[in-house]
Amino acid sequence: MSMPVPLAQSGGGFFRDRAADSCVADNGICPGWILDNLDRYTTPLAQHVFLTVTSVAAGFVIAFALAVLAHRRRWLVGPVTNVTGILYTLPSVAVFFLLLPITGRGSLTAIIALTAYTLLILFRNVLAGLDGVPEDARDAGRGMGLSDRALLWRVEVPLALPAIMAGLRIATTTTVGLAALAFFAGAGGLGEPLEAQKAFKTNVLFAGGLCVALAVALDAAILLVQRRLTPWTRAA
Amino acid sequence: MSAATTDHPTQSTAEPLEFRGATKRYPGASEAAVDGLTLEVPAGEICVLVGPSGCGKTTAMRMVNRMVDITEGDILLGGRSVTERRPDLLRREIGYVIQQVGLFPHRTIAQNIATVPDLLGWDRARRDDRVRELLELTGLEQELASRFPAQLSGGQRQRVGVARALAADPPVMLMDEPFGAIDPINRERLQNEFLRLQERVRKTILFVTHDIDEAIKMGDRIAVLQRGGRLQQYATPAELLMQPANDFVRDFVGADRALKRLALLRVRDVDLWRPDDIPYRLILDDAGRPVAWADGDGRPSGAVTVVERDDVLRDALSDLLAGESQYGAVVDEHGRLAGILSVEVIQDFLAPETVGETR
Repeated sequence: MSMPVPLAQSGGGFFRDRAADSCVADNGICPGWILDNLDRYTTPLAQHVFLTVTSVAAGFVIAFALAVLAHRRRWLVGPVTNVTGILYTLPSVAVFFLLLPITGRGSLTAIIALTAYTLLILFRNVLAGLDGVPEDARDAGRGMGLSDRALLWRVEVPLALPAIMAGLRIATTTTVGLAALAFFAGAGGLGEPLEAQKAFKTNVLFAGGLCVALAVALDAAILLVQRRLTPWTRAA
Repeated sequence: MSAATTDHPTQSTAEPLEFRGATKRYPGASEAAVDGLTLEVPAGEICVLVGPSGCGKTTAMRMVNRMVDITEGDILLGGRSVTERRPDLLRREIGYVIQQVGLFPHRTIAQNIATVPDLLGWDRARRDDRVRELLELTGLEQELASRFPAQLSGGQRQRVGVARALAADPPVMLMDEPFGAIDPINRERLQNEFLRLQERVRKTILFVTHDIDEAIKMGDRIAVLQRGGRLQQYATPAELLMQPANDFVRDFVGADRALKRLALLRVRDVDLWRPDDIPYRLILDDAGRPVAWADGDGRPSGAVTVVERDDVLRDALSDLLAGESQYGAVVDEHGRLAGILSVEVIQDFLAPETVGETR
């Protein structure tokens, strides 16, 4: 559980800086102020990354296991899609408040809600990836003596990677956006400094910009990993 | 490097394969998919299962490596029942080639070929040697080893499929319409290549096709199946063409079976005439090679149709017809005149068959 940035302290600094800077006084867009106040954003950014990565990772483990199960036992597809679909439609802020009496304020509450939110996207993509494995490759694999487990890990999962990674990219960028609301659950994140001084344009722009930059950076990182893992998709 | 691998004779083993009343019934189906199939394939021979679609030939084949479970009866591989073995271990000892090839798109050609050796835990050097050897054996360039399947042509992919099936030197191979998805010209080439390969490796092969011409070409023996996997005739190609066991086989083999027999024979298999037996004279060069037909004065008067002793009789007949000549000059491997092939000879060869024809 990480501590939210104390508001009173940052507020004090905010007014002192504002008095000293005419740009800030006019509520303009002030690069100088950003440079002087970068440290306000480091902890929220770190929290934001932590929330996103943890939630997507947890969501991926759960969704992957469910998809592998449903791939073998087709009757599970309907129920799992329905349940994760309901989780997906619940407004995350509402879930934060619903969870508060159970898990209290802090990262855990936020992570549970964000994880639940990723399940539908990840489940559907992993399943689509596994279902998209060419039947002839599966038949040949089985016919050459690959066990079910070997077939899954050596043939099906590698061939499903493009779809799986596509799901990870959507889930990650979506979670970066939703994690901006995590401060409602007391989990910090970039939403916190944004909300604290939401009348100050420079702050709103920079905190929002960091969210966007984070989403783009994580997306690019996953894309890079995907390219490393799937060299065959570019062979033609 | 490559010399070291080619010095080793291609290691090879083969085991006989025996169906004993092998039966497959699917739950809820009124008819058995394969009903009491009994046949023996001697070690090192190609047995072709042929029949119309839905006759159970693929099901029968897939019972051997237990991709389809046997309901009744048994299948013996090298005298041992396949049902005694764990399916995945059994399958590693049976080469498996399917029509769509089923290469793994995410693995390189070398990795694809080494699938079974990797499962068997071969060390790296042995595995790499084997991959090199198989690329050579199947007529593929070594550079292809590091490519992905998508970078290969259909024919190359099919060769990789065969190389992959041979990788761990299995005593038996199952081939389900292996050349079915290849265009006719390349199919013919792959079939010929495969027959040459089989001369070297001498595997016991169960080969499934719906194409009687392919069956006649590829099979040492042919099993003609009717719906329900009921065996109608199990015979060599020549027997099948000369003595169809019943109307079903006769229909399936086709009205042109006399002509098909010509595809089984070579020019050297029939009685050739001596040059004096015909009313025309050939002009030969100094080496004894036929140059042209001569007119009454010994001067060249017309182009001569030349066929080789190793030519398939059907092709030779086709050459004679194309040349609009009744006689062709048969030459040996040096191009020297070895005899005369007459359309009449081919007719004589077909005669007993056409007389015996009931329709």
